[in-house]
Amino acid sequence: MPVLLPYLYTGGVYKHGLLIELLEDLGGYVIQKVVTGTEVNLIMLIPERDVDILKKQSDELLGVMIEAPLTGVEIAVVSPTLASHHLPHSACDVAEYLRHPGANTNMIGLARGMGRRVSLSMDYERRLVNEHDIAVFTFGSFSDCIINKKPKLFEGIEIPIVVTGGPDLKTEEVPGADLYVGNLGRTSHRLRKTEEIDALNKLNEGVGNIADNIRKQQAKDPLAVIPARAMKEIENQVPEIHSVLSPAPLTLQLNGVRVKLPYDEFHKKIESLEFDEGVILSELANISRSTMKNYILIKIKSKSDVGFAI
Amino acid sequence: MDSLETFIVESAIASEQEFYRKIVEDNIASLKLALAIGRIRVVLRPEDSLFQMVMILRDIGTKVTMSDIADIEAKPVAGEMIISIKKEQYIPELLGKLWERYGKANISQPDRWTVAISTDRPEEEAAFLQEMMVADPKHKLHENLVDFAIRVTPEGFRVRYHLYKGNSFIFVASEEALKHEWIEEAGAMLKELREGGRK
Repeated sequence: MPVLLPYLYTGGVYKHGLLIELLEDLGGYVIQKVVTGTEVNLIMLIPERDVDILKKQSDELLGVMIEAPLTGVEIAVVSPTLASHHLPHSACDVAEYLRHPGANTNMIGLARGMGRRVSLSMDYERRLVNEHDIAVFTFGSFSDCIINKKPKLFEGIEIPIVVTGGPDLKTEEVPGADLYVGNLGRTSHRLRKTEEIDALNKLNEGVGNIADNIRKQQAKDPLAVIPARAMKEIENQVPEIHSVLSPAPLTLQLNGVRVKLPYDEFHKKIESLEFDEGVILSELANISRSTMKNYILIKIKSKSDVGFAI
Repeated sequence: MDSLETFIVESAIASEQEFYRKIVEDNIASLKLALAIGRIRVVLRPEDSLFQMVMILRDIGTKVTMSDIADIEAKPVAGEMIISIKKEQYIPELLGKLWERYGKANISQPDRWTVAISTDRPEEEAAFLQEMMVADPKHKLHENLVDFAIRVTPEGFRVRYHLYKGNSFIFVASEEALKHEWIEEAGAMLKELREGGRK
């Protein structure tokens, strides 16, 4: 199986179809296409050896192609609540910045996450967070809270946890966190100062490393089918997905796909999705009702589970 | 008293103090309270879940009447009044009051500085409008102060005490039941602030 590299193409709408056709001919995948006015943003997975060919085409179209290391990663940005204390700054700024390298982010505001003694998370919220690849918790400015009180919100979270906060702490000081990024505490202004942007860059880099580690772990026991291929098949075989208005109707994860179609109506169709090799998707993946709205969540099994990979 | 002549934010850890000062600054700016606050002192004790804030307010002017912000001309023959605006900043409040009294259909704005009202009794109405109160900055200030206090308080601190008396404002918030000493402490802080405050 060729190694696929994530790239982001930004350029004009004119003739961008050429690039998509070339990519599909080479066996790559378009993950997301966003057209804004006369500009188009394409997030793509490109076979490693063909990157130069696509770069040439992109240069011809006068577009820019850059690496997007967080492509195919769905991140939960968890804020203690959705009150004006945390939004739009800094939680939205964090979520927006994580999207630059290609991630899909969902913002989750806990119902009762605020405070020190009283903060808690509900079972439903934990299940929702666990559906993602990585969780980013955005905390405040007090080291006492971050070290002693807030980590109880991590209970029951099974995915890697990244914490942002104001004080300059070490990751080891925050119990349960896989990464701590300082200088991103509670603010009431847009993050745009040098040190704030530096912190956001550090966050992106750290999250990128965590995603790489998950990918490396996966490479030891690869998935039965790569999520991008499952996504492509859904696009081809379930035409209703094209009329979904949500952003990213098919959201790629490191080990699955979120399909933004109602479960009851479409789960049979998704389960019986057939690949060229003759296998159907339900043999390769667990398909369940997502905690997010009524969507369908596909979690692809590993090769060792299924016994073969396509 | 100058605006913000004393501005103190205290917390045990210096770097956290800086963060919090920035939050207070941003909220003062976004609620446009800088001119209204003379002296302010904020004390934070996260380990006790305690937030205390005291302020001495400046005199921010009296009620604004129509004659302060606009000229009114009655036109009995045409059955209308023309209001020429002098101070634009009160237009939202003014329009709100006019809509309530005359209805939106009878009011038009040919340009930014003019409001035309059609009415049956232009002269009497013009005399009434002349004296009408358009805005009460004091009332607005109270609203903004409460909003400000809630915005700068750490979010979980939902048990609150506030006192707005004369030109002083005390706000104490915590996550636990408020202790009497905390409010007394805030009272002492206010007294200190009134005597000139610590720079």
